[in-house]
Amino acid sequence: MIHKLDPNSKIIYIFVANIAPALIGARMATASFILISIVILTIGKVLHKTAPMLEFSGLILLTVAIIQGIFHQGNTTVAFALGSVVFYKEGLMFALGIALNVINILMSFSILVLTTKPSDMVETFVHMGLSPRLGYVMSSVFQIIPQMTKTMATITDAQRSRGMETEGKLKTRIKAFFPLISPVVMNSLISTKERAIALEVRGFGSKQKKTFLNDLQKTRYDDIFRFVLILILILSIFWRVLIWLK
Amino acid sequence: MAKIVAEHLKYKYPLSEKLALYDISFTIEPGEFIGIIGENNAGKSTLCQAMVGIVPNFYKGAYGGKVLIGDMEIAKSNISDICKKVGIVFQNPFNQVTGCKLTVYEEVAFGLENMGLPRSEMIDRIDYSLKLLDIYKYKDRNPFDLSGGQMQRMAIASIIAMRPEVIILDEPTSQLDPQGSEEVFRAVQNLSREGITIIMVEHKMEKIAEYSDRVMLLHEGKLIAFETPEKIFSRDDLDCYGVTAPAYTRICKSLGIKNKKTGFYPVTLEETKSLIGFSEKERCPYDQN
Amino acid sequence: MKRTSMWSFNLNTASLVLIPAAVGINYIGKLFAGALKLPLWLDSIGTILAACLAGPIVGAICGAINNIIYGFTLDPVSFIYAVTSIGIGVAAGILAYKGRIKTAVGAILSGLVIALVATVISTPINIGMYGGQTGNLWGDALFTWCTASHFPMWLASGLDELVVDIPDKVASVLIAFGIYKALPKNLTVLYKNDQKIERLD
Ligand SMILES: Nc1ncnc2c1ncn2[C@@H]1O[C@H](COP(=O)(O)OP(=O)(O)O)[C@@H](O)[C@H]1O
Ligand SMILES: [Mg+2]
Repeated sequence: MIHKLDPNSKIIYIFVANIAPALIGARMATASFILISIVILTIGKVLHKTAPMLEFSGLILLTVAIIQGIFHQGNTTVAFALGSVVFYKEGLMFALGIALNVINILMSFSILVLTTKPSDMVETFVHMGLSPRLGYVMSSVFQIIPQMTKTMATITDAQRSRGMETEGKLKTRIKAFFPLISPVVMNSLISTKERAIALEVRGFGSKQKKTFLNDLQKTRYDDIFRFVLILILILSIFWRVLIWLK
Repeated sequence: MAKIVAEHLKYKYPLSEKLALYDISFTIEPGEFIGIIGENNAGKSTLCQAMVGIVPNFYKGAYGGKVLIGDMEIAKSNISDICKKVGIVFQNPFNQVTGCKLTVYEEVAFGLENMGLPRSEMIDRIDYSLKLLDIYKYKDRNPFDLSGGQMQRMAIASIIAMRPEVIILDEPTSQLDPQGSEEVFRAVQNLSREGITIIMVEHKMEKIAEYSDRVMLLHEGKLIAFETPEKIFSRDDLDCYGVTAPAYTRICKSLGIKNKKTGFYPVTLEETKSLIGFSEKERCPYDQN
Repeated sequence: MKRTSMWSFNLNTASLVLIPAAVGINYIGKLFAGALKLPLWLDSIGTILAACLAGPIVGAICGAINNIIYGFTLDPVSFIYAVTSIGIGVAAGILAYKGRIKTAVGAILSGLVIALVATVISTPINIGMYGGQTGNLWGDALFTWCTASHFPMWLASGLDELVVDIPDKVASVLIAFGIYKALPKNLTVLYKNDQKIERLD
């Protein structure tokens, strides 16, 4: 069901999930949106796929907590001490705020990213008025990245099987990589000429308004979903104004 | 259907010192099958690209004379308009894939989307051209998962779907294995039967001799001759232009067997067989070549 | 041949097709740095190269799309750093257009300028997102020392970013320069958006 939502609705969600807590200005609001995102990701059966992203940012967040916990400029109240190292409450709360924000961004974007085919997303953008030429660039990048990953994996495997990755000094390892990478890089550049020509002879430069093979459909859920989101946004603006008037 | 006319066509690539095409003039009638031959760097690809507007509109550079497709003058038109009349297929099947589509079906649709065709017409045309090239069964595959021959047929299908009056094939089989080449040649023959004008650059002279109504011989950017295959391959100076005649012609030349009616050496297996009096059922002793 | 403005949005097809290849090269660089555990990112080589070949606009688009795609595939936080990538692409494009990246020395100096641009743009984002850190081991060690020595936050964070950006951008511009030199001239001329057809008759 989540997968069938119009990518536009998911983009609106990202927008609201990150603006509303900023307007309300409370950590609880951020936490609530994280919770909502987790629920949506669970319904879409893709929650487990957020793990690599969380791992990636989690490491940075951990160092933020340690460094801010010890060295944050406003530190006064001792939270706890590990041996001779003292952690302060202010720094840890500051780090918690950062962590909530980062996780909120991660989770809200994950809904769009993990439940939408890249090609559908680009097509939505083009339907919305993105230049089809830039649309082409985006879709072909989505195609190129997996190809490159595959190529690099092959190269790294070849290196590993020759013991190059673990043994040898950094300089020898870099030297060993170059002859394998440069043809990949050079070919990808040299083939741009033929590819550009191939696109041209299929009317890529046409001034004619483009049509689409695939239709995009908005579902009934889209309207409900969007209505709720807009409502939340309006309420949080209202809240902000109330606080400001007090 | 449109005639193709070139008048005193000259062209020099940017940053290049010498002309890649030098004062070329010819006329190609609708429905003809034209072969283009000549050694490497003779200017074959440049000439092909001059008939779709890649030369000069894509490369820029310096240009003289003109090429007309019907009443459309190439140098003054956009490639996106020319490509509705003239399609071109290149050597490397991999680099012709748009790289932005996930299935063969969508890949073929690319040109039609750019032309702004309504959806129903797109579907009709895609189905037709995929079936004509015998790749309908792969329609849901990722374009990059096809074999070379299949990819090249997809490239041809993508062009056919745009319904051009002329199709140019620039060494369409030179990067394919024998099986892939056969697949492509069979497809090209089918197209020719549909009445489309075909212009093909090819190094396999047997194929040029078998399919072509007329053959262009290029050398160092100049058009040396534009004649029937029999006349071209009976020339004595072919080796000066880095071209070897088909095996049958070479053998008959060395044996002095000429076609009495035309006065030229035979260029295909069939012609050779009938000349030396073998009936269809018997094996031609020179077939092994 | 007269050159038109480097800011033309009228991009030819060759320079558009260059963008996916350039983003691919960024990605190869990133994987390469990762595979060899280098203390650099090397994830803007393609952007810098594209900017040198086709100008600041293509550099900017390349940077933006690079981060949008990373945002979609690796780490959504990348979306926000698209601004930095755009800055890198624009800076490299201008430097190349002004003829500053014609020698290895020029490439090194340009690397320093680009590092400075990247730092100025990234630092406020780092402060907003991660309390000033970059996530790079060496940079964050410096950040910790600066914070412990009561440097102001913007300075600690700026130095954290700069200390990684300088070697990274200098290496990236040098590699991009090397690739540029190795490309055939009749290819690179196709990415220029200002060529005209001459008549021969
Ligand atoms: N992009 C280019 N820039 C400059 N010169 C080129 C370019 N492409 C081809 N040439 C030159 O033009 C001449 C004709 O090349 P081409 O048409 O490719 O020959 P053929 O297809 O017969 O092998 C050659 O001398 C070649 O080096
Ligand atoms: Mg050629």
